[in-house]
Amino acid sequence: MSADWAAARSAFRLKALPRSLVSGGVILGLSLVLALWPSLLAPYDPTAFDYSALLAPPSWAHPFGTDNFGRDVLSRVIHAYTIDMQIAIFATIGPFIFGTIVGAFVGYAGGLWEAIFGRIVDATITFPFLVLVIAIVSVLGPGLGNMYVAVGVVGWVFYARLVAAEIKVQKRLDYADAGRVMGYTPLRIIFRHLLPNAITPAIVYWVTDMALAILLGSSLGYLGLGAQPPAAEWGVQIADGKNFMNTAWWISVFPGVAIVLTGLGFSLAGDGVAELLRVRR
Amino acid sequence: MKTIARAVFTAALLLGTSLSAFALERGGTLTYGRYADSLFLDPVLNDANVDIWILSNLYDTLLLPTDDGKGVQPGLASEYKLADDGMNLTLTLRDGIRFSDGSPITPADVAWSLKRAAKKDNGIWGFMIESIDDVTTEGDKTILIKLKHPDPAILAALTVFNTAILPQKQFEASPGATDEEKAKAFAEHPIGSGPFVLKSWDRGSSMKLVRNEYYWAKGEDGQPLPYLDGINFELIPDDATRILKLTSGEIDGAEFIPYSRVNELKSSGNLNMELFPSTRVAYITLNVRPQLGGKDNPLSNPKVRQAMNFAVNKEAIIQIVTHGVGKPQTSYMSTATPLHVGDKPLYPYDLDKAKLLMKEAGFEGGFSTSILVLAGNQDEIAASTALQQMWAQIGIKLELQQVDNPTRTQQYRDGTFVMRNAAWTDDIADPNEITSYFVYSKTIDALHTGWKSDEADQLFEASQKEMDPKKRAEQYARMQEIYNAEGPTVPLYETPYPVALSKKVHGFLQIPLGNNIFAKTWKEK
Amino acid sequence: MPLFSFVIRRLLQMIPTVIFILIVTFILVRLLPGDPASAMLGDRARDADVERINRQLGLDQPVVVQFFYFVRRVVTGDLGNSIGLKVSVSSLILQRLPVTLMLTGMSALIALVLAVPLAFIAASKRERLPDSIIRGAFQMGLSMPVFYVGIVLLTVFAAQLKLFPVGGYGDTLGDRLYHLFLPALTLALSFAAVLMRNLRASIIEVMNAEYVDFATAKGLRSRVILFRHILRNALISTVTLFGLQIGTLLGGAVITETVFAVPGAGRLLIDSIYGRDYPVLQGLTIALAVLVSLTFLITDIVQAWLDPRIAR
Repeated sequence: MSADWAAARSAFRLKALPRSLVSGGVILGLSLVLALWPSLLAPYDPTAFDYSALLAPPSWAHPFGTDNFGRDVLSRVIHAYTIDMQIAIFATIGPFIFGTIVGAFVGYAGGLWEAIFGRIVDATITFPFLVLVIAIVSVLGPGLGNMYVAVGVVGWVFYARLVAAEIKVQKRLDYADAGRVMGYTPLRIIFRHLLPNAITPAIVYWVTDMALAILLGSSLGYLGLGAQPPAAEWGVQIADGKNFMNTAWWISVFPGVAIVLTGLGFSLAGDGVAELLRVRR
Repeated sequence: MKTIARAVFTAALLLGTSLSAFALERGGTLTYGRYADSLFLDPVLNDANVDIWILSNLYDTLLLPTDDGKGVQPGLASEYKLADDGMNLTLTLRDGIRFSDGSPITPADVAWSLKRAAKKDNGIWGFMIESIDDVTTEGDKTILIKLKHPDPAILAALTVFNTAILPQKQFEASPGATDEEKAKAFAEHPIGSGPFVLKSWDRGSSMKLVRNEYYWAKGEDGQPLPYLDGINFELIPDDATRILKLTSGEIDGAEFIPYSRVNELKSSGNLNMELFPSTRVAYITLNVRPQLGGKDNPLSNPKVRQAMNFAVNKEAIIQIVTHGVGKPQTSYMSTATPLHVGDKPLYPYDLDKAKLLMKEAGFEGGFSTSILVLAGNQDEIAASTALQQMWAQIGIKLELQQVDNPTRTQQYRDGTFVMRNAAWTDDIADPNEITSYFVYSKTIDALHTGWKSDEADQLFEASQKEMDPKKRAEQYARMQEIYNAEGPTVPLYETPYPVALSKKVHGFLQIPLGNNIFAKTWKEK
Repeated sequence: MPLFSFVIRRLLQMIPTVIFILIVTFILVRLLPGDPASAMLGDRARDADVERINRQLGLDQPVVVQFFYFVRRVVTGDLGNSIGLKVSVSSLILQRLPVTLMLTGMSALIALVLAVPLAFIAASKRERLPDSIIRGAFQMGLSMPVFYVGIVLLTVFAAQLKLFPVGGYGDTLGDRLYHLFLPALTLALSFAAVLMRNLRASIIEVMNAEYVDFATAKGLRSRVILFRHILRNALISTVTLFGLQIGTLLGGAVITETVFAVPGAGRLLIDSIYGRDYPVLQGLTIALAVLVSLTFLITDIVQAWLDPRIAR
């Protein structure tokens, strides 16, 4: 406990929450509202066809235009929040928790454990991800649930490796030795002392990873392995609009804006969280 | 009268000559953007359209399909005569024809090539010439083909890629112990007699062809074809990139333009957006086995299938999927297939009739079912999404399942699929190929659907030996009637081949069977 | 000699990894529905043809026997022949893998060039306008699907401005680098964004840490502080991230190679999955695994060099 810590604490008390956390939180909060109650704001049924308005440009009736089925793009962008926020969270939370715990133990224990986990991590990371996802989805069948499984099987090792590397550095520092000298259990040292210092990169990565998960979901949607039609998902919408980039840009641009905006929300929130953790410890 | 006629004739001749010869320019290399690379350039052992559709540029056949894809014209053989009993075919080779390495094409090469193609279990195309019993030669120009039974489609079969003529000596000199190993080695540097020769092949990237100096056919200027010095096939799998490369002038032509871009490219000033008539039909295949996955299968009821057909708004599908490029089907086979019958679109959209049929079939409340969609294929996704909406009107809840091609093929061949998207193009200028797959239950269980009509089966078997064209046409008319009324498909549309070419490119042709013909293609400098 | 023994140890560790991947790949490809024959022959295949081809490929034998043959061949360095392309797998890999290596290497370089200076600027002007602009711009790079970015870059820089060719792959080295620039940039954008975010966070963290304060107290000039301490420490996490992201980069290469018509290993990989080309899929997976393992090894060595505490 140095003087800096006390200073940092008081700085935390004095300052309001980090600005990026506030703005990121607002974006994500609004996204969550849209994800939970899309029907409140969507003017149309996102799957309803309108043959009389195929590929209609933005207008008062359809602010974001319509797609090649005459479906309202605005309504589809809004309804896609439900699926994409779900992808962001479900595809990453499991890997984050599991990977962090495993990484912390491995980094702390070292020795044989590290060697064994090292092999598992290596084998998982070095296995071409796409082969694994396509294989798992082909065997289990297409759909979001099986996509989470496929992503999770690989995803956890990224967190584990980040946390383990950081723990290895932290455990050599004086305060960890101090903890051992004071007779704390390894569990306590890991979770009370080392992890809070070592988890920052993992959290920063997690928040980025949520944005990446949406992107991955859209790439897989493009390959037909993610959300199934007629469900609205941004990646699928962008893929649908690819052939119409010159003639009906609105089909792909508006979902693109939604991805950027949501990604920005996650990244701002991530930076804010990182700052908060940094100040607190 | 006679003078006028002659004058008209002369004028037409002059006009014709001036129109084509006026601008004709020889030389240059054409760069053509393909969506997928070829796999295996052996005429007999190949498996896919990516090979078939360019093979005729490398390997010539005894006979050639006409430009409309419906008839037969002389190829390496300048004359052919089918005996009256239909059991013997006599062909005469052209004078002085040579392979691309300069060696003469002999009747022995022809006999060997045909026997190799007809050999059982050598490749998957042998069924088209299964009627060939023996091939013998006579003198230095004549080939005699003895048939097991009369075969009305034998002439058409001799235009198909698998009957291409290869040099026996050079093939057998290729390294390898088996026919397949030799074919692999030979196909790396093929020797044929088509208008072009393979110069280099950078797999997955580009294929370069140069003109065959020994090609037999002559151009309009009296000099040997082809006009071009060479063709570069560039592999550009992404549709948008292929089009971009064409509009920026880096390539001269691009195949498989997505339907959604056709109208846009039509209005582009420096491009010709060609829609070549084709034998392609797109349809939904329904598994009609009485039981499926241990449950009763509603699709086994012909009335349900008719209801599903009536509930499909074909015009809307054609708009949504093909952006107006397609036409409604008038029979299970395309209008470009010989002996096609039908002038009215099948099952005009009639929701009331569909509902009534569902009621009669005992499915007033509808049912839940599913369809296999090729993962990421925009056309199939669009068609299936539209069907989902349309069939919901008669209570059918359709679930879309995107799977990759082998997964779908597995379920298809096992007969465990429920419904799937599918498309077909003919390889032969005869209705027997499509009919054998679609209708005749002994080939692949009528598209693996389990559908069977004894009458259609008998008609097909008879038609395969029927040498009277009129009787054969009647047989085909009846088969189409049966299949269109209660068959296991939901026909969607037929479409042309969309190919975009630079305005500088002339004389390129993709015939209804899909073959890309570059022999008479030329390019303005 | 500690570095030498470290490298030897890591190389030995790669052996079980590769064996594990060998087994998993072998099982996984056979779990995939459909077989090479039906993938190759498509919808028109007749049962007899499919059976005949699978028999020719030895796929009618028990899986254990197939595995035995497979291992026996791999040990002698023979990866077999491609089922679809009819050429040897090793020649295919030697042809395609360097392309993808060049593509990912180039994009990593572009990402570094973009991310490092901008991360410094963003970190030093934290929460001010330059920071917001830089982060916003990188966020866009991160959020745009690769296939979309690719088409936009092609349309603008290749088709309209004519600065680059519209996809494809050249013949000479210089020509190839020129052809690969846009695809590498496409691939670099999302990696640069991840890198920049991480770097920025690390720099801020290191700036806040005690020893920088200590150094400042010692009166060192701020630029020296930046270079000696911040850069070194920040690069540790960057190098880690690079090792982690190499797999993602290779994954992104699949779509990038398709969009830009680059004949690389990514496209070969996806074609071999969809074609159920078992020998290619197996060979390529192993080659990629060895490659990524080597990348990890290099990142570990760099890490050990940057922070000797890790290698201890």
